[in-house]
Order: sequence, then C-alpha cells, then structure tokens
Amino acid sequence: MTEQELAFTQDELDEIERIKAKFPTNKAATLRVLWVAQEKYGHVKPEVQNLVADTLDLPRSHVHGVASFYTQYYKEETGTYVLDVCTCLSCQVCGGYDILHHLEDELGIKAGETTEDGMFTIQEVECLGACGYAPMLQVTNGVYANNLTKEKVDKLIENLRKGKKPEFESMVMRQNEKRKKELSQ
Amino acid sequence: MPEVFIDNERYEFEGDYMALQFILDLGKEVPFFCYHPSMSIPANCRQCMVKAGQYIKDEETGEYELDENGERKIRWFPKMQTSCALKLSDGMVIQTQETSEEAERAQKDTLEFLLINHPLDCPICDQAGECPLQIQTYKYGPEGSRFEVKKVHKPKRVQLGPRVTLDAERCINCTRCVRFAEEISETNQLTIVSRGDKNYPMTAPSETFDDPYSLNTVDICPVGALTSTDFRFKARVWEMNQTPSIDITNGKGCNIDLWTRDNEVLRITPRHNPEVNDYWMPDEGREAFEQFNKNRVSRPSITLDENNQSNTSWNNAVETFAEILEAHDPDQLAVFGTPHASVEENYAFNKFFNLLGASNARFTPHIIPGYGDDFLITDDQAPNTNGCRLINLEETDDTGIQSAVTSAKVVIILSDDLVGRGVLSADDLADRYTISLATNQSDTTEASDLVIPITCVAEHAASYVNIDGRIQRSFPAKETKYTNRRLNLEMSEGRLDRYGTNFDNWVNEEHKIDCLPVWEFLNHLGERIGLEFQYDHSRAIFDEMSDRIDPLKGISYERMDEELGVQLPIEQQEVTQA
Repeated sequence: MTEQELAFTQDELDEIERIKAKFPTNKAATLRVLWVAQEKYGHVKPEVQNLVADTLDLPRSHVHGVASFYTQYYKEETGTYVLDVCTCLSCQVCGGYDILHHLEDELGIKAGETTEDGMFTIQEVECLGACGYAPMLQVTNGVYANNLTKEKVDKLIENLRKGKKPEFESMVMRQNEKRKKELSQ
Repeated sequence: MPEVFIDNERYEFEGDYMALQFILDLGKEVPFFCYHPSMSIPANCRQCMVKAGQYIKDEETGEYELDENGERKIRWFPKMQTSCALKLSDGMVIQTQETSEEAERAQKDTLEFLLINHPLDCPICDQAGECPLQIQTYKYGPEGSRFEVKKVHKPKRVQLGPRVTLDAERCINCTRCVRFAEEISETNQLTIVSRGDKNYPMTAPSETFDDPYSLNTVDICPVGALTSTDFRFKARVWEMNQTPSIDITNGKGCNIDLWTRDNEVLRITPRHNPEVNDYWMPDEGREAFEQFNKNRVSRPSITLDENNQSNTSWNNAVETFAEILEAHDPDQLAVFGTPHASVEENYAFNKFFNLLGASNARFTPHIIPGYGDDFLITDDQAPNTNGCRLINLEETDDTGIQSAVTSAKVVIILSDDLVGRGVLSADDLADRYTISLATNQSDTTEASDLVIPITCVAEHAASYVNIDGRIQRSFPAKETKYTNRRLNLEMSEGRLDRYGTNFDNWVNEEHKIDCLPVWEFLNHLGERIGLEFQYDHSRAIFDEMSDRIDPLKGISYERMDEELGVQLPIEQQEVTQA
C-alpha cells in the first residue's frame, strides 16, 4: 500500500475532530487517533503512523515512538484474530505454556506468526491483569477467554473460524464464589 | 535572604534555583546524565539523587523547632529527591553523596541498574575518556555487577542520518538527543522507540536524521551511543590536543575547540559561550576540519608557462613578488582584502600596500541570501565581514571587483576564492599578473601566477568580528613547518605532543604545512624592497590597531580570552547582498 492511497474518510476525520476537542493538545490525542487508524486498517504500519502524524500535525517521530511503545498497536499486518496468550507468572503456574503450545500445534504456527489463511495470529504476552482466572488469552485487544483448558481452546478456535467471537463473561474469583451465590439469592 | 543548607554548610540564594544547578555552581558535584542546563528537565536518569528535607518552623512564632540537643529539627522528605528537579526553598536541607550514606547508596544502585544492559565495551568505544557514564561509574558506581544473565541486545552501527551513527546498546535513554531535536534545533526528528529494556532513540521510519545541527547530539550524549560518523574510531580523546578557536565557515563565529593529533585537525566541537552559540554549533562548521588538513597550499608556487604551476622556494617567491611590485606603479595594482581572513591579516596586508602608495584594499562580502536560519547558520559565508569594515577596507560589490581587475595590471588577492565563488572568472585574471596569498587550493590559486601559502585559522592567533560585532580570537592549534609546539607558549600540548619523540612509531611528523602567516611573509617582502614594515606577532598588529581604531580601544587578546570575546561598540550593520 503506498502512502497516497491512505486517507481518512470524512466520517473518520469528523471523529478525529471530536477526539481532538477532548484534549488540550493534539499530542494528547495521539493514542485515540492511532486507535481509529488501527480499527480502519487493522494495523499501524509506518505509513499509517505517518498518516496519523500528518492528520494531527505532529512530528512523525513522535507518533512512531508512541505506536512502538504499546504492544496493542500492531506494527505489522496481523490475522483477523490476534490471540494474546498470557505466559506471565500466574498463568505460567496454571499452565499458560500448555495452552500456548497447544494453540501452536493446532494452528501450525509459532508465537508471533500468522496462519497462512490470514485468520489467526498468536502472540505470547505478559500479564493482562486476569491472574484470578488463569490461564487466559485475549482476542484482538478485546474480550478475554478465561480459565482455559485445551478443550475450551479448541472450541474457541472453532467458533472464531465461524466468525463467532466469545461473549464477555463476568468473572468471580473462586474464593468469592460462595459470597456471589449468597448475594444473588 | 532565603537560605539553604547543603552538606551542613549554609548558603544564601536569591531567585529560582534547582538544587543540582545550584550545587554545580558552587563547584561541588552530584553525578547526573539527563540534565542539561539549556534544555528541559525530565529527571529520567534518576542519577542525581540527594537526601532532602526542610527545617521545621513553628507556624505561630516563626521560630525553628529545636530538638533536645538544641539542634534544629529536620523533616526529611519521604523519598530521595532528584536534585535536578528539586526547587530550592527557604530552610531546605540537602545532603549529597558527600554526607549522606543513603544518597551515596541510591546513586550507586541507580548506576548498577543503568549498567545492567550496557555493553561495557569502553576499550573500543569512542566516548571512553570523556564519558560521563565511565567517569561517574568510577567515582560513584558499584565495584562489579550482580547481573549474571545475558544482556539485552539492540541494534548497532545504525546510520541515524548522514553524520550520526547510533549504537543502541550503549544508550541509557536519557533523552538528551530527543529533547535537543525538540527544543533546540526544533526538527523533532528523534524519539524513543519501544519500551522497557529494549528502548533506544530513533527517527520515524520514513525519515533520516539530517538535522543541520545533528552532531550536537553526539556532544551531549552522556554515553557512546551517538557517535560522529566522520570521527568514529579516528583517535582516542586522551591522545588529542584541544585548542580553543572560532568557527570560520559562517558569520556567526561559533566558539569551538579544535582537536588535533599529529598536527591534523580530527574533529571540531563547540565551546560554551552564552553570548554567541551557547553549547551548540552547526554541522557545517564541524566539517571544516577537512579544509584545515586537506587540499592546502604548501610551499610557494609559480606559473612557468601557460598553465603549468611549479613549486618554488620562498626566496624566489619573495624575489618575484618584489620584482612585480617594482615594475608597476601603485595605481596599477588591484589589491583585494577578504572577509574570509582575520582582522590582523587584512590590516597588515592593507597597510603594506598603503605604504607602497596604493589606496585601501577592496573587499566584497560573501553572502548567499536565504542560506541562513535564525539560529547559528547565517547568510554570510565569511567569518570577518564586519572586521573588514572595521579597518575601513573599501567595501564593494562584485562589479566593483571586476572593474578594479579590468583597470589593473597586477591583481593581489588575500585568501579569497573570488573565482570559485563566482565574483571573477579565470579569464578576467588571464591577462593580469595575479598573486594569491591563500590557505587552500582553489579555482583562484589555479588561475594565479604566483601563489603564497599562508596560515589558516588553525595555525595562527588572530581575531574575527562576527555579524553581531563581537570580536573573538583563535589560537594556533597545528604546527606549520616553521613553528614548534614546545617553543610557542601559545600552543597547547597534548599527551602525545609532550611525551612522544620522532623515534616513536605512534608519532607522525607529517601534516605540517609549509606556510607562513601573512605578516611574516610581508616582513620578508618589505625587507627586500626596503619598506619599513615589521610585525613579529599578530599581537603586535592588534596592539597597533587598538591604538589607532576607536572601537578597538582598550581591547586586547587578554580581554578576549577572559571575556570570551568582546562586543564592539560598532553599529550593527545588516549584512546584505552587496
């Protein structure tokens, strides 16, 4: 994709104007506008970063620095679904690597790679703050799939292939389950 | 007056001060990396930790509360403070590493962290010897590292731009370079990419670090991460010799240091002068090191037949020059001074031909309109345009120079590439006997019949008046065939100059140019034609000028040295295209 082909539509520009109005400076709106761009293109490769910088009238280096800081911005093209498998301490203890390796075997790719059909990308990530429901993974910067087992992962993949994303589930830590039951009664 | 207590000593202060700058101004030391007096304070290296607190004052009586020993009670701040960002207030108590073991420990631990992923390749690093990280680790750092795991590797030898090479592993992410590009040169070309232990400074992928001031980031880099592509691996800093001088590539007259080894200028760095260039200089000025070493005119040369120049002896050069002068009337001479040479050279040169009966030398400014910016790059391409005006050389435009040449039989040009910069063509000079007194080979010396090699700014002590009317001077930095570092007390001696001998294979006697200062050559010429003209040193010329020229009254080399140049009481002349 060349730089000339990249452009925001009028609707998107209007949204960017609304975002800018919320912040004292354009610089402060960088994160949100990068997000708009990633939703549009599915990634923020350097040319998209430049588009954001030029739209916001910011130095290209600044936008590049911000985009490269956050792993949630994809600096390369990814699959339709990005599976961020947590292998940080709690998940690791509860079998995070088993889940990761199972996924890798199922999809025939390694962490950091994308399947040939462009459907899935697997990433090994650090703590996503869901230690109580370990092991877990996150689907494309969105919903979490918690308390994973190999069967649950297979089901998840199957659903995603059909285009069905997991629903958000409200989670309760095991030690609080009793209290939750009492409250709901 | 508000008072502050640093390491148990009482100091008074007035106005706003940050603790670190105040401590540095006292001549004391606290280690730091990211702080720079001319840029914003991010306090991100965490190296300048001090223990700080406040004497407790009774709010009603305004008296200090005392403990049982009669000492004032101190309320310590709950954590160590970064002194660079700690604003002094009345009754503040600060303990640096000198008096506080906690501060000493905090600094030591910070250094241990900074060094975790630092490659410790000092033996091959250009920064070694002038590296704040190296120096401060010696002074305040831990004895060894407790980190036993593999270090994080990052990109090496990255060409950030045409002049700057990055070694990301050495970077400690102080962001000085990023802040320089944001706040000083305002090109915003740099940022820190990635995060955690993987981050380093970088340009945007579609950009290159071609900032006209990019090499300043190499100076302020407190480690060897940013290095000058030109100077990389050329010399160890402790083997070089540092001589103060003036940038002669434009009209601003940035204060610089010339770094020489074996009489070659290897690099040029800015010297702090708050009145002129602060801590900075343009990259162009640094590239001048080549013109001091290469393509020099060495030994006089004379045109034998049509286009064939040949080296000749100084005696023959003086003889030829004298015969030409004797064969022509003074009004047949066209004598050109130059804004590219110093005040002393122009003055002595002009005076010599005045004594012969010629009228004042002409000069034309070397201006490229629109070339400059509002910072340190000027339209004026010459360092001494105002100096030529000061000594009343006749200012003229290009056509003035051309018509002077047309009506003359002999053309004498002082150190100005009039052909190269398009004022004259080689054909204009073809039918006239042309004598060039020049530092470097150029189109003008090629079109000349007699070329006299003269010293450049790196070889003599002389003064230059910048576009703002400030007079500043140079020191001899490299030896010519006829000078000797050990005898000339004005020259500085590096370690190799002092301890090396001709018999050591690491000392090189080459690179000495066979040239003379203009005044010394004119001494010989004057003696030959019986003219009363004798200057032993540029200092003698300057003394005579300060006696005779009003704006220079009371000014001497000593004053220039002490005051980092002297602002002359001359009208600010807008340098315009003549």
